[in-house]
Amino acid sequence: MDEFEFLVNGVAHIVEADPRRTLLSVLREDLGLTGAKEGCGQGDCGSCVVVMDGLAVNSCLVYAGQAEGADIVTVEGLAQGDELHPLQKEFVDRWAFQCGFCTPGMLMTAYAFLSENPRPEAEQVRKAIAGNLCRCTNYRNIVEAVTAAAMKVSRS
Amino acid sequence: MTEVPATASPADYAAPATIGEALRLLSADPTNMVIAGGTDLIPATRAGTERPGVLVDLRRLPLNDITVEQDRVRLGARATFTDILSSPDLAREYPALHTAAAQVGGPPIRNRATIGGNLVHASPAADGAPPLLVYDATVVLLGPAGRREVPLTAFFEGPGRTVRQPSEIVTEIWMPRPTGPTVSAFAKLGPRLAMAVSIVCVAVRLSGAGLDSVDECRVALGAVAPTPIRAEDAEKTIVARGLTADSVARASIEAAEASAPIDDLRGTAAYRRRMVRVVVERMLDDLARKLTGAATDG
Repeated sequence: MDEFEFLVNGVAHIVEADPRRTLLSVLREDLGLTGAKEGCGQGDCGSCVVVMDGLAVNSCLVYAGQAEGADIVTVEGLAQGDELHPLQKEFVDRWAFQCGFCTPGMLMTAYAFLSENPRPEAEQVRKAIAGNLCRCTNYRNIVEAVTAAAMKVSRS
Repeated sequence: MTEVPATASPADYAAPATIGEALRLLSADPTNMVIAGGTDLIPATRAGTERPGVLVDLRRLPLNDITVEQDRVRLGARATFTDILSSPDLAREYPALHTAAAQVGGPPIRNRATIGGNLVHASPAADGAPPLLVYDATVVLLGPAGRREVPLTAFFEGPGRTVRQPSEIVTEIWMPRPTGPTVSAFAKLGPRLAMAVSIVCVAVRLSGAGLDSVDECRVALGAVAPTPIRAEDAEKTIVARGLTADSVARASIEAAEASAPIDDLRGTAAYRRRMVRVVVERMLDDLARKLTGAATDG
């Protein structure tokens, strides 16, 4: 066991963990942040995506040791109190999810993407979410939600 | 080295702060392994196909720079595909590498997966390899016995196997810079535009003053042999005969003949061989037009 310090949603955490456990398992089991989901466990589905030092990463493909000292944002960090993030609001308003399993990963991929590309074309959004699978809703509503959220984020 | 690893670790994980310490850790036991992005190694460890001893994480080492020098470009081995995509210099002078980087996995994979890891993992379908082969890349390794440079053409030995010793670290890959009119491209065949393991991938480079004076031709193929390969007969045909409809047709058949594909769930050997011919022919046609433009502009 090692002690690791990382910043999660702006709060410093010191976690005692095996450095070869995944970041996903530390977030879910040690910190109780169960937004990120394990789908495939090998980087194909994107349901475990969190933002690490500004970049979307598959948290099932990051060891705790690799994340030491990192600044991590999970889906739990998007809302400000009761106020949903514009991405979350648009996902709700535009029916961009049904079962919701892929949603935290979609949101975090989109969040990282919008911070680099504040005014994206739909085609850029489609490429940005290429590593996130949705198996029950449809990609069209998701792309529309991200594009609509971009307008709000860049305006605010 | 008396340096204490920055992560005072239990037996199985270390993130050393110096390359000397990293080398010492690797030499301590042949099962110890380097971890860079981890996008191949972590799932393989989980599946039990890799059983690493101590994992030596390179994340503290400054091996991720992309440096443009007078006569070459150096890629730190830990540069990610996102780093490669973000480099305007690479996009301009090494478009095949840029295009390949854009087609590896999806954004979260590209944010972690490194060019060094892509080569060391030595998948026959590694998308990073054919572009680096057409740019005559050299792999730099550092080990207990010192530093050595291996041309990428001599780096791969088979699926998952390279000339790298377990105690060596790939520190960088360098490519000479183009000196005259040069065009190059990468194309990949897969079931979708992202997140696909290549069924066939091809990189081509042409350097020369025009269609009838091609000084250098490089054709490299991925996913159609036990390692990424160059199609040297095809290259020689183009240099000897220039770019004509006949020479292009002949070179694409020679490229297909150079391949040694297998049947797997992604495609049959026969399909792959046929697609090598089709893709190489299209790319040579397309690049021939571009070379005419490049030679005129230059």
